Amino acid sequence: MAETVGRTLRRALRQREQTVVLAAAGAIVLLASALPLARLLAEIPGAGTAALAVLARSRPWGLLIRSLALAAAVTACAIAIGAPLGLLVARTDLPGRRALWMLHAFPMFLPPFLLALGWFQLLGREGLVRSEMTARLLFSEVGLVVVLALAFSPVVTSLVALSLLGMDASLEEAARLAARQSRVATRILLPAARPALALAAIVVFALSVSELGVPMFLRVDVFPAAVFARLGGIQYAPGEAFVLALPLMPVALGLLFLERRLVGAGSFAVAGLRGMSRAPIPLQRWRPALAAASWSVALAGALPLGALALRAVRGGGFGNLPQWIGQAPWTSLGTAAVAATLIAAVGLVLGHGAARRLRGASMLDALAVLAFVTPASVLGVGLIAVWNSSATRALYGSVAILIIGYTARYVVVGIRAVASVVLQSPVHLEEAAAAAGARFWRRLIRIVLPVNSRGVAAGWLLAMVFCLRDFETAVLYYPPGREPLPVRIFTLEANGPPPVVAALALAHVLITALVLAVGVLLLPRRSAG
Amino acid sequence: MKRILLIAVLLALTPACKRAAREVVVYTSVDQVFSEPIFKEFERQSGIAVRAVFDTEETKSTGVLNRLIAEAQHPQADVFWANDPVRPFLLIKRRLAEPYLSPSASDIPATFRAADGTWTDFAARARVLLVNKKRVSPGEMPRSVRDLANPRWKGQTAIANPLFGTTTMHVAALFTTWGEEQARAFLASLKTNDVRMVSSNGEVKRLVSTGEVAFGLADTDDAFEAIKEGAPVEAVYPDQEGMGTLVMPTSAVLIKGGPHPETGRKLVDYLLTPDVERRMADSAGHMPLRPDVPVPQGVKRVSEIKAMQLDYARVATDMERIEPWLRQWVGL
Repeated sequence: MAETVGRTLRRALRQREQTVVLAAAGAIVLLASALPLARLLAEIPGAGTAALAVLARSRPWGLLIRSLALAAAVTACAIAIGAPLGLLVARTDLPGRRALWMLHAFPMFLPPFLLALGWFQLLGREGLVRSEMTARLLFSEVGLVVVLALAFSPVVTSLVALSLLGMDASLEEAARLAARQSRVATRILLPAARPALALAAIVVFALSVSELGVPMFLRVDVFPAAVFARLGGIQYAPGEAFVLALPLMPVALGLLFLERRLVGAGSFAVAGLRGMSRAPIPLQRWRPALAAASWSVALAGALPLGALALRAVRGGGFGNLPQWIGQAPWTSLGTAAVAATLIAAVGLVLGHGAARRLRGASMLDALAVLAFVTPASVLGVGLIAVWNSSATRALYGSVAILIIGYTARYVVVGIRAVASVVLQSPVHLEEAAAAAGARFWRRLIRIVLPVNSRGVAAGWLLAMVFCLRDFETAVLYYPPGREPLPVRIFTLEANGPPPVVAALALAHVLITALVLAVGVLLLPRRSAG
Repeated sequence: MKRILLIAVLLALTPACKRAAREVVVYTSVDQVFSEPIFKEFERQSGIAVRAVFDTEETKSTGVLNRLIAEAQHPQADVFWANDPVRPFLLIKRRLAEPYLSPSASDIPATFRAADGTWTDFAARARVLLVNKKRVSPGEMPRSVRDLANPRWKGQTAIANPLFGTTTMHVAALFTTWGEEQARAFLASLKTNDVRMVSSNGEVKRLVSTGEVAFGLADTDDAFEAIKEGAPVEAVYPDQEGMGTLVMPTSAVLIKGGPHPETGRKLVDYLLTPDVERRMADSAGHMPLRPDVPVPQGVKRVSEIKAMQLDYARVATDMERIEPWLRQWVGL
């Protein structure tokens, strides 16, 4: 009897293998990302009219408009910096363009408040450039926009550059036969990079509008800080905090709509990893000026790291590092590595599903995008509400809660990274395997994964770095004594010795650099052609 | 890919392998830079590992308290070390405090400990007017918190957001002492006088130290730090001729239903020793409650100043009662 049931079950599973695998990956997204948001939605009726009255006041709306305006300013500045720089590093003979790209891109992988801390060491009243004016400027809306624009412009640069490197070489070659270089750049290359540019704008806007650490550090009033403050206010009222965060939901949904409308299928194709090599466009007489401008931007982005290093060295911060660093680096690395692995696994299934338009994958991708653009503090409260129960106490009190939180927020990274490479890989291999009788799971592991191993590994690395740089999600529920390094730096920054805080920040920079370097070294080799 | 997976698993296992056999979980709103060395010393002496959760500056006093309340159904903490004496009452009201009469507290003055052992105070701070001596001449020194509303200083003073930190308790204490009408009128006059409301006491310290404002309300540890940094500031203990200065001891509470009650008691015992009061005086300028604990230069003992006579339990009740009004006053 049992054998018959088992056989029937196995047969059913085989027949519905694709559905089962997609459902398993989808369950992870639903459990990590959707459940916390749904749990908070359920809190709203219980919060009562007092909670809804929060939105009747003018201040939250004023703050929201202010936050949106600041995020728009950051996005505009990041595009102004990143779009031309992306074109220059990808397709021209700019001197040292690969090194420039690496230098410029690196700050993107760090928590933005760490960069703000560096700018403070440089421009603050006790900084290397001791000026009342620079200090005032830094602790203002202008300072916030500049710090975030420099932190996020590499997102634009990199997406545009990757898109241009991945575009069909024949288009450009044909244009170069008939048109001037400048015309090729403006009429062929930049329009080809438009989906990447739109995606970059959406990503930068989403990151800016939910950024918490930098505005809190620079004492600039923004909406997410108000939500965070409501969570930490006199009376604990998560329902009210969620009501307060509700206006951000249309913003998140709007971003999702824009992403689907403006970017469409191109959103998966921007990170082209299969571009053919072409001769770079010669910059000719513009080369020295453009090189000077590009390197200045890259060096400006790295300046705060230099200031942190000087502060740490001069104040003897490194000597006290062992006393203050604790287990934070191990917690950061361990949880980020496991979360990135989970994200890459989910990304393999759902990214492939989204690229091949399998049923349900697109909806789950949208959900992942929504979790990414939702304010991290809201997601954090939802995670506490869901996971702090007697049944899941062991998970909540351990580093597992960090892994769940990271997966909730950054699973979109894995999905998009895999989708972008799958979309550019030939579908006929999978079709041939299917015709030969290979089932879904076997095709995924034996065909999709090996063919796209570089993209999956790149997605893992990107997810790892995103988890490493996270501060906003973890700060609300990190397990006792297991705080990730960015949280430790932020809590110590309050009244801690500045040289030690600078040294801790540099330790984080070093860890990130090592992870990136090792990760790139371990990336599977690019297949020929 | 396999290599990456192997590294991931190894990294994930590392923290788990380091977990100690005996541990205690503490949530604290006392600055990490001051509290962590105390925990490390306890670890060294007892062999018990301390797992701590700290507050951020912006949600000081309330962040970890709210987390304790959020986790009330399934407490994760064994001990709460509050940076003021009022928050423990919010836990007591929610039946989250476990009575414990620590033998270490026997020489702490009786007014600073609960008869049933639900809370015990130690190492205190006071609310002071931090004054920039370059901007305020000796003859003009403010003497009362009411000077914040003096038109002479219009637009030249600062306080921290009263929804957080010790400023909440200070405002609540004014409601308790002056009554509703007078306290509301005072807060209204602060707005009329363009008092700058900033994110934290640390920010008040920064503004006063740099001379951006003439003076502001801060805590003694902020003043201690500013003086140590060489800022041209002076700490004025306000209302010494009137109602007295607000004194805010830190407070230890054992959490009911915490996962490690035995080690929790040991940590409370340690926190309440004279040695911790001395360490807090040395490192953070906290005022010992015991009269015989030595203090560094510039730090006063509680017995040396005129303190506001307060029932902290009533202040806690007032604090919760005025919260909706206070939020409107702040504009959120």
